[in-house]
Amino acid sequence: MIWIIFSIIASVVFLTLAHSGMCRKTSNLSRRDSASAIYADQIGEVEKDLERGIISAEEAKAARAEIESRLKAIDRQSDGGEPMVGHSGRVLVLLAALTVPALGAGLYWQLGSPDIPSQPFAQRTGEQAEARKIADLAVRLRSRLEADETGGPTEGWVLLAQTYMRMGRFGEAADAFEVLLDRPDASSALVSQYGEALVYSEDGIVTPKAERAFDRALELDPSNPAATFYKAVGLEQAGSPDKAYDLLKTRMEAEEGFRPWMESFAAQLNRIAPSIGRAPVDLAALAPSIPGPTADQVAATEEMSDEDRQVFIRSMVERLANRMKENPSDLDGWMRLGNAYAVLGENENARNAYGKAQKLAENLSQTDPRKAEIARSLAELGA
Amino acid sequence: MIPEIGQFALALALAVSLVQSVLPLIGAARNNVIWMRSATATSILLTALVAIAFAALMWSFVVSDFTVLNVASNSHSLKPMLFKVAATWGSHEGSLLLWILILVVFGLGVSLLARNIPLKLKARTLAVQAWISAGFLSFMLFTSNPFDRVFPAPLDGQDLNPLLQDVGLAMHPPFLYLGYVGFSIVFSFAVAALIEGRVDPAWARWVRPWTLAAWVFLTLGIVLGSWWAYYELGWGGWWFWDPVENVSFMPWLAGTALFHSAVVTEKRGSFKSWTILLAVLTFSLSLLGTFIVRSGLLTSVHAFSVDPERGIYILGLLAVAIGGSLTLFAIRAPEMEGGGLFAPISREAGLLINNLLLATATATVLFGTLYPLLLEAVTGEKISVGPPYFNASFVPIMLVLVVVMGIGPLLSWKRADLRGVLHRLKWVAGLSLLAALVVWYLDTGGPALAVLSIGLAVWLLGAVLTEWASRIKLGEAPLVESLRRARNLPRSHYGMVVAHAGLAVCMIGFIGSSAWKSEVVTFAEPGTHIEIAGFDVRFDGVEQLRGPNYVSRMATLTVFRNGAYVTTLKPERRAYFVAGTSTTESAIRTTLAGDLYASISEPAAESEQSKWTLRILYEPLVVWIWIGSGLLALGGVLSLTDRRLRVGAPRKRTGPGSIPVAAE
Repeated sequence: MIWIIFSIIASVVFLTLAHSGMCRKTSNLSRRDSASAIYADQIGEVEKDLERGIISAEEAKAARAEIESRLKAIDRQSDGGEPMVGHSGRVLVLLAALTVPALGAGLYWQLGSPDIPSQPFAQRTGEQAEARKIADLAVRLRSRLEADETGGPTEGWVLLAQTYMRMGRFGEAADAFEVLLDRPDASSALVSQYGEALVYSEDGIVTPKAERAFDRALELDPSNPAATFYKAVGLEQAGSPDKAYDLLKTRMEAEEGFRPWMESFAAQLNRIAPSIGRAPVDLAALAPSIPGPTADQVAATEEMSDEDRQVFIRSMVERLANRMKENPSDLDGWMRLGNAYAVLGENENARNAYGKAQKLAENLSQTDPRKAEIARSLAELGA
Repeated sequence: MIPEIGQFALALALAVSLVQSVLPLIGAARNNVIWMRSATATSILLTALVAIAFAALMWSFVVSDFTVLNVASNSHSLKPMLFKVAATWGSHEGSLLLWILILVVFGLGVSLLARNIPLKLKARTLAVQAWISAGFLSFMLFTSNPFDRVFPAPLDGQDLNPLLQDVGLAMHPPFLYLGYVGFSIVFSFAVAALIEGRVDPAWARWVRPWTLAAWVFLTLGIVLGSWWAYYELGWGGWWFWDPVENVSFMPWLAGTALFHSAVVTEKRGSFKSWTILLAVLTFSLSLLGTFIVRSGLLTSVHAFSVDPERGIYILGLLAVAIGGSLTLFAIRAPEMEGGGLFAPISREAGLLINNLLLATATATVLFGTLYPLLLEAVTGEKISVGPPYFNASFVPIMLVLVVVMGIGPLLSWKRADLRGVLHRLKWVAGLSLLAALVVWYLDTGGPALAVLSIGLAVWLLGAVLTEWASRIKLGEAPLVESLRRARNLPRSHYGMVVAHAGLAVCMIGFIGSSAWKSEVVTFAEPGTHIEIAGFDVRFDGVEQLRGPNYVSRMATLTVFRNGAYVTTLKPERRAYFVAGTSTTESAIRTTLAGDLYASISEPAAESEQSKWTLRILYEPLVVWIWIGSGLLALGGVLSLTDRRLRVGAPRKRTGPGSIPVAAE
């Protein structure tokens, strides 16, 4: 449909331009005619001003003489010869008429996203209902946790906090995590998620409070990649990009093989690297296998109830989808997003994501395993 | 799909504008009619394509399609419909699209309406206009694309700065842009004339309606912005000498000089290079304004984009446009033939002084606006140049201008009799002196500048009326004769009379509201009485109300004078929950004598929820500013509708104008 409309618009543009070249009318309002009309009119005005008594007869005479000399002057000035209408003129116009749709289409190819549908707010009742449901659930969960005399189970608070994170209510997410900080089972992951919530609620600034959280997370587990990542962000914000770079690089090198979090590390490293004159890192060198959810994450989902698991997976998927918005050239990311949507049974979204991946994979070598993987997934999804 | 149609239309528009930038120009050089005529087809296409894009963006805002990033960042599903529509041009990207839409509409106007203009001049003008379109279209597509998409779409939008959710402001950018961008066509005419190497009275005549139209729009745009600041910001001020205001004011000053200078070019064939230079400078100042506002160079309400890439792109456009046109001017200006001669005392000389004063005033504002920016760039020191600078530099220049304005219209072309003119104005001079004395008597403590200014405002008004009366021979000829003369006076003359009188009325408003303003800021509890300018204002308390996307706390103030009830004012403080910010909605009682203005802020302290910060002002004569500005714009419109501007479409005159005059 959209392509039909594009073709119609492009054809109208072409035809209008081409028609202007074919037009046989050659009337050419020359400067001489046009200026004479003006001066004749000015003489008329002088007469009328005289009638109205705005100017004296003497003034009128002088003005008339001046305008008449202007009239004579245009006769002296040539207008550059007779207008010409050559055959070559038509060819050039036709050529321009052809160039315009081609150029426009080329530009659109660079800028447009023809595969993204319109989504008027009124047509998104399903999503809105879901969002309301989740908000309701969060309210209920919260009141249950708050009413619990033992303070509520840790998993409950974590679920609540993660739900808030997904809803974009980062401050409340941080509050929910904060409840757990003094508990003996506060893990490194939990503390760094708390820090992350703080960072989000401060529009991406690593505040001293958040930094303390990441320090503590690293104390509990020095290998925690999220805490390391945000420590580096904090260092960069504090004006030490060198230290940030070293921190990220060291952490990556401590790992054998590819880990999913390395993408964000690499993106961050490569963003900092040029400004401080350090070498960028090549993620592809780190065994570009197809990472799915980690074993831990899968294990975690198996312990959850069905509903919790859905919520958990959704939250992961949406976070990934958000990341992809900021970093749309991330091939592996699109593949993971496609995979995740396929797991959720959202085949349309999965196809879209794999479609993006396929576009990005076009430049890869034929032997790259990812190419085959994308093709296989798309086939399975029936695209 | 609809946003993508908009995107596609914009891509095509850029391609079309490139064709229009080149083909008509070669056509004019080679005398090829088809190439020159192609500009008509391309300007129609350009307008249609940009209009499609604009409609697509507006549709996306109206239905809240959050797959469009621009909609997601600047709108919200709960926003009232009017502001959804206005949000189309509320954001950086959207306002650029509006800018371009107006640009191409002006181009279309020239290609369709200006039938009396020679084909060559028209082709060149439209080509120059297309350069500007191509520059801005590429700027938009490559750095600020309004149709960037987000998928999956966020569930709801992030709202628009609530300060900008206001009817006055919704209409302010379109008018301001109509003015800014309107001067683009004058610029294009000037550059076309420079390319052609010929400027003559006919040229000035062809350009006059476009200059006037742009000036009227700019006047309205500035006034709407000022009016908005007056009632929305809650401080009761109508002009802050804020850089964003200044950058819209500079093209206005230069544009005012431009059409006065163009009158001389049209009538006498003089001031040619002056007129061309002013045309170039006026639009350059508009571009400068766009640059300063759009680049995020300033941090104020208006500067909503902070992105160096954009700034550099516009700076590049600015350098090419201003540098290129001034270079062309430097090459061509010496070739221009001189015009008719005039004596030192003449209408021409009056207009020359007008131009010099307006140019100096523009330079003063430019300096005051750019100096802090340059200083900050060079030394890192932040200073602010505020009202004291402008009061000391700009205002005196304008006061001199007002003196000249009173005399100028009475001078005749070529050689005038200054003594005779002054003789005719002696009563006016006496009256203004009397007015100044009366003001001084009433308020001896008042600032000297105010006393002087009131005198000058009366002088201007009196001189304008004297000029009009002498044109129609009021009192000298029988009343019937005067009435007939009044009817026969050309409309452009009435335009001048009304606009000059408008300025005098504005001055009275400026002076009254700044020199004799009274202000009370206080912590009020229910039952508190406040005395101001003879009014007794009782604070009755605050109630909480809920609007579509905000919560309002509305105060009730009952106003008495001498014990009698006058009115009830209900100022509000609105908290917008999505955007997380608040706005002030002031309550104003307007009369010709002055405005009683009330606004309310947060409670004085967390612990004292019943104590509210109330600001109550009495601003004498402030409404005169809006009336006077309306007269200024009306004057422009009157001139614009003058029959004499419609040359080339000859029409038989009917009515009183065709009655021959018997006696003279």
